[in-house]
Amino acid sequence: QDTFTLRLAETWGPNFPIFGDATKSMAAMAEKMSDGRLKIRIDSSNKHKAPLGVFDMVRAGQYDMGHSASYYWKGKVPNTLFFTSMPFGMTALEQYAWFYYGDGMELMQEVYEPLGLKSFPGGNTGIQMGGWFRKEIKSIEDLQGLKMRIPGFAGEVFSEVGVSPTNIAPGELYTALERNTIDAVEWVGPALDLRLGFQQIADYYYTGWHEPATELQFLVNQKVWDKLPADLQEILRISMRTAAYDMLIQSQHENAKAWASIKEEYPNVQIKKFPTEVFQTMYKANQKLLKEAAAGDELAAKIVESQEDYLEKTRAYTDISERAYLNTMAEVE
Amino acid sequence: MIGLIMFGAALIMLMLGFPVAFTFGGVALFFGVFSEGMDLFAFMPYRIMSVMQNTVLMAVPLFIFMGVVLQRTKLAEQLLTSMGRLFGGLPGGLAISTVLVGALLAASTGVVGASVVAMGLISLPVMLAHKYDKRLATGSICAAGTLGQIVPPSIILIILGDVLGLPVGDLFKAAVWPGIVLIGLYIIYILVMTRLRPETAPAMPEDPTRSRKQEVASALLAIIPPLALIVVVLGSIFAGIATPTESSALGGVGAVVLAIIYRQFSFRMVWDSAKDTVKVTAMVFAILIGATAFSMVFSYTGGDYILEGWLHALPGEKWGFIILAMLVILVLGFFIDFVEIAFIIVPILAPVAEAMGINMLWFAILIAMNLQTSFLTPPFGFSLFYLKGVAPPNVKTTDIYKGIIPFILIQILVLALIVIFPEWFGMSATY
Amino acid sequence: MRWIIKLDEGLARLSNLCGWVACAAMILMAGNVFYDVVSRYAFNEVSIGMQEMEWHLYSVVFLLGIPYALRTDGHVRVDVFYTNWSNKAKAWVNLSGAVLFVIPFAYLIGSYGYDFALDSYSMGEGSGDPGGLPYRWIIKAVIPVSAFFIATSGLGMVTFAIRVLSGEKSYEVEHSGEGLA
Ligand code: NA
Ligand code: NA
Repeated sequence: QDTFTLRLAETWGPNFPIFGDATKSMAAMAEKMSDGRLKIRIDSSNKHKAPLGVFDMVRAGQYDMGHSASYYWKGKVPNTLFFTSMPFGMTALEQYAWFYYGDGMELMQEVYEPLGLKSFPGGNTGIQMGGWFRKEIKSIEDLQGLKMRIPGFAGEVFSEVGVSPTNIAPGELYTALERNTIDAVEWVGPALDLRLGFQQIADYYYTGWHEPATELQFLVNQKVWDKLPADLQEILRISMRTAAYDMLIQSQHENAKAWASIKEEYPNVQIKKFPTEVFQTMYKANQKLLKEAAAGDELAAKIVESQEDYLEKTRAYTDISERAYLNTMAEVE
Repeated sequence: MIGLIMFGAALIMLMLGFPVAFTFGGVALFFGVFSEGMDLFAFMPYRIMSVMQNTVLMAVPLFIFMGVVLQRTKLAEQLLTSMGRLFGGLPGGLAISTVLVGALLAASTGVVGASVVAMGLISLPVMLAHKYDKRLATGSICAAGTLGQIVPPSIILIILGDVLGLPVGDLFKAAVWPGIVLIGLYIIYILVMTRLRPETAPAMPEDPTRSRKQEVASALLAIIPPLALIVVVLGSIFAGIATPTESSALGGVGAVVLAIIYRQFSFRMVWDSAKDTVKVTAMVFAILIGATAFSMVFSYTGGDYILEGWLHALPGEKWGFIILAMLVILVLGFFIDFVEIAFIIVPILAPVAEAMGINMLWFAILIAMNLQTSFLTPPFGFSLFYLKGVAPPNVKTTDIYKGIIPFILIQILVLALIVIFPEWFGMSATY
Repeated sequence: MRWIIKLDEGLARLSNLCGWVACAAMILMAGNVFYDVVSRYAFNEVSIGMQEMEWHLYSVVFLLGIPYALRTDGHVRVDVFYTNWSNKAKAWVNLSGAVLFVIPFAYLIGSYGYDFALDSYSMGEGSGDPGGLPYRWIIKAVIPVSAFFIATSGLGMVTFAIRVLSGEKSYEVEHSGEGLA
């Protein structure tokens, strides 16, 4: 029987925690389950030097697979935006339900198929934090002209309430925040933020809204996929799905651990929530931007509608289950 | 194995004197195409793109521009000769000034190409004009220009923070004392050296018509404008006006403003400065692109796996591990880019070190010290190439190679001191 | 021989044109960064488009600077032996280096870089950040353009070497881009 070695390019550096663990565990599972017939060799960004070239390289066949995030390709193919996480969108559990039991996977395929690619959920960070602020945000006025590192669609929403999204090289983020060159930084969540040391220089850590369930992505070149025998396709599919779900669990574990240590070692850090008026304005801006995105493109409209419908239904159940329970717990404690 | 043979081939080819950048690129091309095929080079546009989008490197042209303008308007010369005069009859005053100005620049940028070239433009002609020994002059410029790697803010520390999962702020704090000790020892070395061999660094001639007091007063006055520029650059970072990269633009524009104030300004001067800047910037980036082709072929032909194999063979006892790890990094630093080392080697060493109870902060500083040395070690030390690129033709590559040796020895000494007496630097070796 | 001289001078003009564009980009870049700093600090205004323009210009500086520096001999050499060699020997080093290293290297980067830029063009790629610049293919196309001019400058090294070999020109110190300091 033939042995297949697939080369995978990941956006992250080598040994990047959590994200990198997802690729490694996926590769290990695939190799074990296939009894060594399917090997996946992982190249990190230090090797290919193109963290945001993963999409192009997998498409061109320079790599067979990729591990990245769909919304990075928004500048190339606008509809890829919808398959990572949307501001005010679904939670991880809800979004997985949409992917696997709603129309999520199908719609994602509709976007990626014409590009010669297959895309699969690649692991979830859980809800991302709203960012590190050096000053407290008490009203919408405090956001006017606030310089914040926040990329992509969420940056557009933020700019609608007066924030100035700013580009800063990742290597200079810490210095820029420390020196007030910028006022705020959005990164990921406690486990990954801790590594960059923002807790040492900013006191206000805001809760999230913009990426409630960031789903990474496994990309597979369609031709490579087609060449795999059916059993290896299945093994690869299961490995990717298991690794993705496992990353969500690991994120919960690592974030909880990191948050405990921030609380203990940096008592200066306070958890804050944006004022309701800020959320309301951003929510409106978000709906407006979504409408604009949907207006120009049939497929975009279909995706937005599917997400909205699914969110409505699934949230109604979340309300009487998870939320009700957490509320109860809050009352009891 | 191909990767290792390739280093040998590059070394031989470099000696023929063809431009360094294209020797790297050409050697990479031959080994790459023969072992992996042409398509390996389909990765090159991505690698070039990643240099293009690495905005931190923008500091290179901008600082060079500042250096060129300061040099063309003679303001740099004024700064250094005045500082040299302040040292009075002390030989080596210019070299000490170079180290001090270099240290200040280093505190603003962590990009070696920027600070070495800028210092080369600013202070090499002045030292040579004052009959300094070429080796002492080039050695002190390379060493001072490379300080940017250890003096915070610095790219090495940020990368190490990321790779080792350490807060950048802690690393920055821990690097302050080693940086200061290095600067101090460079100056002591220059003092001792010039005491022993005064002809290598003649003291600035004193003006017999003026008293020492007048001399000092006029020197201080002359220092103010160019020093103010450096203060603007540094101050803009500390005040949060600009990022370290952007501060270099303030330096460039500031230098033009100084030229206007000193009636040295003309559009011709700005255009010619831009031309020199483009030439030197191109030299630096061509090397980066040649080197990225080289490291691409090295890693895609399995060179990184060979390295990993070696590292896994390091001893399991603490002191043996540390000494050998430092030696391995030092030797690899002769050949390989520091970013590669940080990303390939450090993740292998880190868990071992952690399991031995080694303080990771201390370990990180050791690695950072070691990596900055790698910019200076012949034959592949990038700082040496950069300085050669802006030096007058009568300064030979071998002068620079020889000139840097004492400074490398000082760095190894400081490294050893941090290993043996971490508490002198406010650190501890274990938790 | 006459056509070699003509060709050589023509190639030199191409390289100088690159240098001219790179110089203009250099001055614009300094102004661009300065403007961005001032408008952010003094007026609290940030434009991601202007911020992206910084690295667009900076890329033009070095990508078009490289062919220019090739012509003006601005690229650093290890001169352990080179400086002591005769003009003939130098000409042979430069001629074979250009043919074996520079031109093939430029060819590979140029042809893969062309696909790279074309792909971006056909997708209509733009910035993914709010207010970012559209038409990403333009800056990506500078890679193959640079490769093309590196190749012509490489050819210029060949023609110049032939002129040196024929005794009509020599590698003077003045010709060297070294010694800016
Ligand atoms: Na984020
Ligand atoms: Na620095």
